[in-house]
Amino acid sequence: METVSDPAFWSRLQFGFTVTYHYLFPQLTMGLAWFLVYWKWRALRTSDPQYARAVRFWAKIFGLNFAVGVVTGIPMEFQFGTNWAGFSRHAGGVIGQTLAMEGMFAFFLESAFVGALIWGEKRLGPRAHFLAAVAVAVGSWLSAYFILVTNAFMQHPAGYRVEADGSLGIAALSDYLLNPWAWVQFAHNQMAAVVTGAFVVAAIGAFYALRSTHLVQARLYLRAGTLVGLIASLLVAFPTGDQQAKMVARHQPVTLAAMEGRFASGPMAGIAVIGQPNLAEKRLDNPIEIPGALSFLAYGTFASEVHGLDEYPEDVWPDNIELLYYAFHLMITLGTIFIVLMAVACFQSWRGRLESTPWLLWLLLLALPFPYIANTLGWMTAELGRQPWLIYGLFRTRDGYSQVVSNGNVVFTLIGFTGLYFVLGVLFLVLVGREIGLGPEEETA
Amino acid sequence: MIAAWYGITSFMLIGYVALDGRNFGAGMLHWLVARTRAERRQVVAAIGPLWSWHEVWLVAFGGTLFVAFPRLLSSAFAGYYLALFLILWCLVLRGMSLEVGRHIPDPLWSSFWDFVFVLSNCLLAILFGAAAGNVARGVPLDAHGQFSMAFFTDFRVTGQVGLLDWYTVSVAVFAVVLLAAHGATYLILKTEGPVHGRSRALAKLLWGAAAPLFLAITIESWLVRPDVPGRAIGNPFCWFGILVVVASILALVSGLATGRERRAFAASTFLLIGILATGAAAIFPEMLHSTLAPENSLTAYDVASSPTALWLASIWWPVALALTTGYFAFVSWHFAGKVGLERDDQGVY
Repeated sequence: METVSDPAFWSRLQFGFTVTYHYLFPQLTMGLAWFLVYWKWRALRTSDPQYARAVRFWAKIFGLNFAVGVVTGIPMEFQFGTNWAGFSRHAGGVIGQTLAMEGMFAFFLESAFVGALIWGEKRLGPRAHFLAAVAVAVGSWLSAYFILVTNAFMQHPAGYRVEADGSLGIAALSDYLLNPWAWVQFAHNQMAAVVTGAFVVAAIGAFYALRSTHLVQARLYLRAGTLVGLIASLLVAFPTGDQQAKMVARHQPVTLAAMEGRFASGPMAGIAVIGQPNLAEKRLDNPIEIPGALSFLAYGTFASEVHGLDEYPEDVWPDNIELLYYAFHLMITLGTIFIVLMAVACFQSWRGRLESTPWLLWLLLLALPFPYIANTLGWMTAELGRQPWLIYGLFRTRDGYSQVVSNGNVVFTLIGFTGLYFVLGVLFLVLVGREIGLGPEEETA
Repeated sequence: MIAAWYGITSFMLIGYVALDGRNFGAGMLHWLVARTRAERRQVVAAIGPLWSWHEVWLVAFGGTLFVAFPRLLSSAFAGYYLALFLILWCLVLRGMSLEVGRHIPDPLWSSFWDFVFVLSNCLLAILFGAAAGNVARGVPLDAHGQFSMAFFTDFRVTGQVGLLDWYTVSVAVFAVVLLAAHGATYLILKTEGPVHGRSRALAKLLWGAAAPLFLAITIESWLVRPDVPGRAIGNPFCWFGILVVVASILALVSGLATGRERRAFAASTFLLIGILATGAAAIFPEMLHSTLAPENSLTAYDVASSPTALWLASIWWPVALALTTGYFAFVSWHFAGKVGLERDDQGVY
């Protein structure tokens, strides 16, 4: 990513921008879907009307997120062809399988039932409405799995063979679909989506509690949001995040070195709490490290040798080490804060004092944007860490863009997306803000 | 196997047009058939809850093209770069206008989003029409099977062609009229009251206009691609497609004349399917014709995935289709019936 005259630069920027923007919406719907399923199930089992009210309110928030997720998601699939024709030509014989499966198995399921979930409560009756919620949740998680298998192939290719014309073809569908990288990444990513869902549910609960409105609903959101938030925040770190890091250490050691800004190899490798990578001097400036922590986390013992960047030729180093380093470190920092915040909130909730602890409610409310940031940073770590490869070890990013598309065209569409998505973002915030302001329907009794 | 996947890919695209075509049509006629707030809400409610279900068919088509013909996808999508992004942006605007417009019950707000809704649907009909014209006419494929195309060049249909020329523009006009007529036929079925009456009148007018255009496009296509009819004449699928077209026209005329709304809409849908299926069968095995040199054309056999990939996809695809048929039955049942003038009982649309 040296200069703007690099033909792949603008396509990378456009794909990165549109996919980052798109993923702000599915990460909430994937997490929220299971809250809807749970509350719908409680509504079926108990006669307490607050659960059905919660479902009605959150279904509206879900619907808005789902709609923006759909309209921003459709351009993603098409950009494989428009901007990454070289990649599609080279790897379409493999990744076409999961991209087609996503449409056929996941999107059809999700979109057929989302209308029924949002608008069909009366016509369907409680049981079928519950099943619609389950169908939407399963559909959204299936879609995530197919996309993560595709990404896992780019991170750690499996189940392929090289065809006579040099392109990649599918050899074993089961190896491709059951790529161990995909399972670890799926677990990590889905738990992170649940974190987003839980933080949003808790933040809206905190908002109502602080305003002393909708108090019954607020208690419900706070209880569910903080408990799920704590469990999911823990699971994001351990075992899923831990396994993800070990996977990177095993299969992309140069990426791990770049993530940590480690230029020299050696045992007792530390994790930098603070420090700025300095590529010119090939060192970390102003480092404060926890000694041995990286050796332990990546390989299980403090004495383990961790590979440094110096062991690898520079043409296989990730091409944006600074950004990769900060993305990874900020993600870890935020993840740690999430665990602490949710643990304190759960403790207060267990003592029955959460609603009467304003400072904690304020923290829960203000924490709302941070899971989105952490999810984005996680994906930046994965995707910047994969560079300079489009398919790790097999196919370079600089070979993947569409040669027939001029930079002028890509800049044009990037400007178009920027404008369109800005308007879309403003509208989304206005409408979601309005729904939150209107709030869940009050008890009629 | 490759021919079968050509059929499956065509089926997905035709399925998309058959489902979303009604929305483009109804959207274009929005201002003509609906005058008051309540009437406009009625039109939106006839489309509203299902647009994302219809739109994912386009995504599923993209996926099917990816698994079966990845090299066609990379050539065509990169070559149609700007046109494709215009379609994608219009789809974003169309979805936004449906979701955003209904959320705030304010006349100024709604009238703006009505405008976006009409505009994006008109543009989508034009763009998809021009795209169909481009597939029929061919694109300037070079010897490497790649092309890059300007919006317009000299408006001629050979050599270094552009997206728009006299032929593709006339196909776009036909697509607008055809989809509008289809949309009107859909609104006859889905609405009651004044919207219903106006849709009836418009449907007759539009189908009247579509008939001579259809004839003109058929002759034009023969002039632009004189090589196609000779190949198509031996293809039984073409004859079957023509049979569907003829039967649909008869059923449509009788449905409209006798006020049988279901029959008219089914016939209108099958007319779209028949026209597209005949076209798809006629150009087979060519998927992209080269206007520069015939030997540069990409056939299904040139661009297909490996036999293993197609074989594997042939195992799971029927399972997915069976499931989808189940969802389809559910959706049709769930959203069956007419949309009244009052706010519907879910209180959303």
